[in-house]
Amino acid sequence: MPDIVDIAVSVEGFSTLVTAVKAANLVDTLKSPGPFTVFAPTDAAFAKLPPGTITTLVQNIPQLTRILCYHVIPGRLKKADLAKFQSVGSVEGSPIDLTIDKETFEVNNATVLQADIEAENGIIHVIDTVILMRPHWFWPIMNSTLPTSAGA
Amino acid sequence: MTTTLAATKLPPSTHPFAEIVHRLEAGGSMLPDTPENLMQIIGLYKAYAVPMDFYWRDLLYIAEQVFVDPLPFFKFIIPEEYLKLANHYAGESADLRIWRGIDTAHPELLEFMEKGELKRKLPRILHHLWHDRINMEFAEECMRAMLWHRDMGGLLDPYMDSEEYKQNADRAIRAYVQGNPLLQGLYKLFPDMFMELCRQATMYSVLGLFWEVMAPVFFEMSDLYDEGKLTTVPEAMNFLVNGIFAVAGRPIYHRVRIRGEWYDIVPKSKGFTWLYEAAFPYVEAVFYRTSPFRGTKSYNAQANQVPTNQLDFHYGILYADKFPVASAGIPPTLLHQDMYHFLPQYLVDYYRQHCRGEEDMLIQLGVSFQRSMYNVTSAVIQAGRAAFLYPLDDPNPRHLMMNRRYFEGQLNRFARPEYGIREAARLTYIQDQNYR
Repeated sequence: MPDIVDIAVSVEGFSTLVTAVKAANLVDTLKSPGPFTVFAPTDAAFAKLPPGTITTLVQNIPQLTRILCYHVIPGRLKKADLAKFQSVGSVEGSPIDLTIDKETFEVNNATVLQADIEAENGIIHVIDTVILMRPHWFWPIMNSTLPTSAGA
Repeated sequence: MTTTLAATKLPPSTHPFAEIVHRLEAGGSMLPDTPENLMQIIGLYKAYAVPMDFYWRDLLYIAEQVFVDPLPFFKFIIPEEYLKLANHYAGESADLRIWRGIDTAHPELLEFMEKGELKRKLPRILHHLWHDRINMEFAEECMRAMLWHRDMGGLLDPYMDSEEYKQNADRAIRAYVQGNPLLQGLYKLFPDMFMELCRQATMYSVLGLFWEVMAPVFFEMSDLYDEGKLTTVPEAMNFLVNGIFAVAGRPIYHRVRIRGEWYDIVPKSKGFTWLYEAAFPYVEAVFYRTSPFRGTKSYNAQANQVPTNQLDFHYGILYADKFPVASAGIPPTLLHQDMYHFLPQYLVDYYRQHCRGEEDMLIQLGVSFQRSMYNVTSAVIQAGRAAFLYPLDDPNPRHLMMNRRYFEGQLNRFARPEYGIREAARLTYIQDQNYR
């Protein structure tokens, strides 16, 4: 069975991801036995980022590596396995939030376009948006409320 | 188009700042879109960019060469090499050439440094002692706010407590004190003090690297406005949002040069980035929190007038009372004085129309500065929305609702009743053009 890198290289629409993985010297890691679960952004996902974003990252390999590592979680986790969790820890260290039910499969603000692609050393889920680490203040902001008496 | 989408897919917001929530959902800024607001904020970006070109250079000089000097008398006397230091994001050899402008110190800055307010060429030390200079005290206040508040997200903050950081720092401090028995003795006696001075030097570096980017951004915005290419407040905000994304991955690091050799304290290889380790913590520490300035107001901590939790501090520019500016003991006065020297003529004329007295221009430019920083904060809020949530024209109502929760959560920071936060916030004030 092909590994994660073989699949990304052979399928159309992942050339930016493949270039980034090569630039970050992550090819050997993603060819190792792992196993890993990879959220793989399409070329269209990368194209949504404003101009300059990718250029700056490709110039700075440790920073690029960090963003790519945020798209990887240890273990072999299909949609059904991930559905048990509200969030999972990425290889980068920050959590990835999951929204999963029968019709929905979302990671942070990305929607999974194709789930559960099996590779020799893990699972690939194709996503439509490059995901970025949500800082620890993100959920406190989302969940903040005002006392009912508060008015502007 | 986006307005229609958000408005038709969701019921109206019931937030106290509902109008502003709807404006943000339509791709707008917290600052209303009027030509007068645009003129004020762009003029201030220009007036801020010139001293900022000094701030980042001197901050890097202090981080890299003054380092842990316990008595840094000459830290504001910047050496020539730092005035010539090439900005990574301006000039022909820039890493990313999206903003025009030169890579060395701005000509207006150099002219001011030479002649000052006195308009006379004197030795720099005399200009310095006469306070006829760019004032680094404000820049240092921002750095201290970032150091003191800590834990504002990002990986640098925990890294500064790690064994690896301490070892890197120790190696550099040992090299720094080498050959100086007095400093060696002090380091032996007070190792923690030197370690804390090193953390402070790291924060000098972080703020320097942050502002190194913002200076060319603000110059570019001013040029675009002068050329008639920036015509609305949302355009100005979106220019900032794109800038934030473009340099988001810029490395944040700290290195020290001792006797010609570089020592890494926070190596680039840690993967720390401009967005997570500098920009977000900067906005949190400087725009929202800082600390209660002496002279503005009396606080009674026993009466719970000062928050027990640093998270609730609200003494930044977004909450500042600008009217005591220029009276004694107000640190931002020095920033206002710096910006005063570089105001574009159209703003000087505008302030004269509304002048209440001699010192009033500092207050008026302070209010314009507040408007401009509400616009920068709006850009950071919209950048956060784009990075962590959904496009404004997302067809999915659940996604639009998440965007709304985020916008409302952000605006709650100006509507909370605790500690007088709601009364202090200037969000309501800046909706009115007569606030000046």
